[in-house]
Amino acid sequence: MKVAVLSFAHVHAAAYLGLLRDMPGVEVLGSDPDTGLAAPGETRGRAFAEELGVPYADTYEEAFAWRPDAVIVCSENSRHRPLVERAAAHGVDVLCEKPLATTVADGEAMVAACRAAGVRLAVAFPVRFSPAYAAVKRAVAAGETGRVLTVSGANNGHMPTRARRWFADPDLAGGGALMDHTVHIADLLDDLFAARAVEVYAQTNNLLYADEVAAETSGLVTVVYDNGTVATIDCSWSHPRSHPAWGGLELTLVGEHATLEMDAFDQKLHGHSERHGRPLEIPFGVDLDARMLRAFLFGPEPDGMDVADGAGGLRTLRIVAAGYESARTGAAVPVT
Amino acid sequence: MPPLHIGLLGAGGIARAHLPGWLELGARVSVHTQDGSGEKLAGEYAELGHDVTAVPTLDDLLADCRAVDICTPTPTHRELALAAVAAGKHVVCEKPLALTVPDAEEIAAAADAAGVRLHPAHVVRYFPAYAAMRDAVVRGELGPLAVLRFTRGGARPQWAPWFGDPTQSGGVIMDLMVHDIDIARWVAGDVVRVHAHTRGSERATGAPADVVTATAVLTHASGAISHVSGLWGLPDQQFRTTFRIAGADGLLRHDSTAVPGFRITAQGVRAANEGIPSSPMTESPYLTELREFAASWDDGAVRPRVSARDGTEAVRIARAAVESSRTGRAVELRPLGTETGEAVR
Repeated sequence: MKVAVLSFAHVHAAAYLGLLRDMPGVEVLGSDPDTGLAAPGETRGRAFAEELGVPYADTYEEAFAWRPDAVIVCSENSRHRPLVERAAAHGVDVLCEKPLATTVADGEAMVAACRAAGVRLAVAFPVRFSPAYAAVKRAVAAGETGRVLTVSGANNGHMPTRARRWFADPDLAGGGALMDHTVHIADLLDDLFAARAVEVYAQTNNLLYADEVAAETSGLVTVVYDNGTVATIDCSWSHPRSHPAWGGLELTLVGEHATLEMDAFDQKLHGHSERHGRPLEIPFGVDLDARMLRAFLFGPEPDGMDVADGAGGLRTLRIVAAGYESARTGAAVPVT
Repeated sequence: MPPLHIGLLGAGGIARAHLPGWLELGARVSVHTQDGSGEKLAGEYAELGHDVTAVPTLDDLLADCRAVDICTPTPTHRELALAAVAAGKHVVCEKPLALTVPDAEEIAAAADAAGVRLHPAHVVRYFPAYAAMRDAVVRGELGPLAVLRFTRGGARPQWAPWFGDPTQSGGVIMDLMVHDIDIARWVAGDVVRVHAHTRGSERATGAPADVVTATAVLTHASGAISHVSGLWGLPDQQFRTTFRIAGADGLLRHDSTAVPGFRITAQGVRAANEGIPSSPMTESPYLTELREFAASWDDGAVRPRVSARDGTEAVRIARAAVESSRTGRAVELRPLGTETGEAVR
């Protein structure tokens, strides 16, 4: 199985390259020619591939000429579309970083291109591979919660601009925290409920890193689903940069018959490092990226979980788009 | 100086939380209720040697006390508070101050005109974790606040049926979420926009699955945003409050169940859920609260950390959340000044 990683713009590229490099039965190739918009000091291109010890192609043409079985698109959010369309044109299955795109129009075009070419379009939502989420899903599916009344979710993290500046560049990222972090929980709920989002209310600010970036760094997004469930998502980049953990993802579900909580990243040892002069956290949970990549390349995991498809990625993008409109107008906005 | 004489109205859960605080402050307490429960409460305490007496009428209660502590169901607050104010008494009033904004404002205006103090009992401001968080915010530890989250949940109150009737209690938003609405405003300032949803059975049916929960997003005048959620849950829902406060310079979080100081890890049977929350490792927050209120009666320079306006604003924001819940639309509140009651430390 030959897998090419196209662009190293996204912070997840390193993890994917490393996992694919070490995955039995997988050959990996990286290509990252469009580095003109990278900030000074960001390691990209061949140097990045060499640091990780993976083979490198200087151009995307070269990468496709290598005849990959699948590609993973890790470009800046607004530059997903040309690479996904290229994969479709080459008849290659594609896993696209989240969010699918920065506009609904781009997302629709990508879904249509892949459908027309008969290639698989998947979107990189690793948290659905969390065993904690699987437990939530089992409880809801078995009727243990009854009707789910509300969901409170938090996907907080570091502002990722120190590793990759473009995350807060609205042209490349499509926005800030609302674009970056709403979709993970939106994807879980898309998978959890056979329900569609009908209305979104969002409020944002950029009081975190106000002097540093123009994009919104905090956001609260309330989504109403057609099964009546009301979900509120804190998508803020509100995890201090000096914190040992990047952030996390937590959900509380209030059902008629049970209240559930999950934390996708709480499986950690906690201590304190004298060497680093700060708290120490050592994760011991399963690697969600690895499970996601295996599912994309080799089929669903034993618990049945599969990667999100393009249509699902598009649904979560529509929630984000409605969120931006709501934040602008101050009113709840229907999801189109 | 004769001992402080407090007129306590009500003998339910919150009266039982306040009464030991008054006694600790050296007060003698007259209790009045309409259902005879005041006699029972007074009897219990008198038997222990405390100066607690039941009085048969409201007029008897108002005849002699220095201040009235209203611990009755919310719909009675207005009438009782206005009577106490008319009698020239300071008023401590359990939250919410009233069910409607006009009622809350009428009580506040009457107290102001009569020159008596009005203390809406937003006791969470006196819970040490919340007070410590606010102190840290005021000191600037977190820098400008950006995004705040508050949760508060427990078993649906079963000890008094009026809680389950939204026309009397105002429902989970007015009665429970109002605590964190007040804290959000205390910490992040006035609120200009509210959007909320309420889900589940707003009216208690008595059926086993009788959950009601509300979620609200508050936009503060500063631009900060707060998510507030309240849950009256299943009978085994452990009472728990949490907050997470993120600012430009740092983060504070708290989970009341994570730091109990002491816990029983086995006792053979499952313990019943507690009714009125407490802070068992520290002085009772109810005592701290009542001491601060009472101190302001003798010293005009003492300004308790909860002002009358804080009480009316909490009602205003909670009503907006109820309205948003009903209409599905965000409710705009007019921007107000930011002055607020401030404790003397």
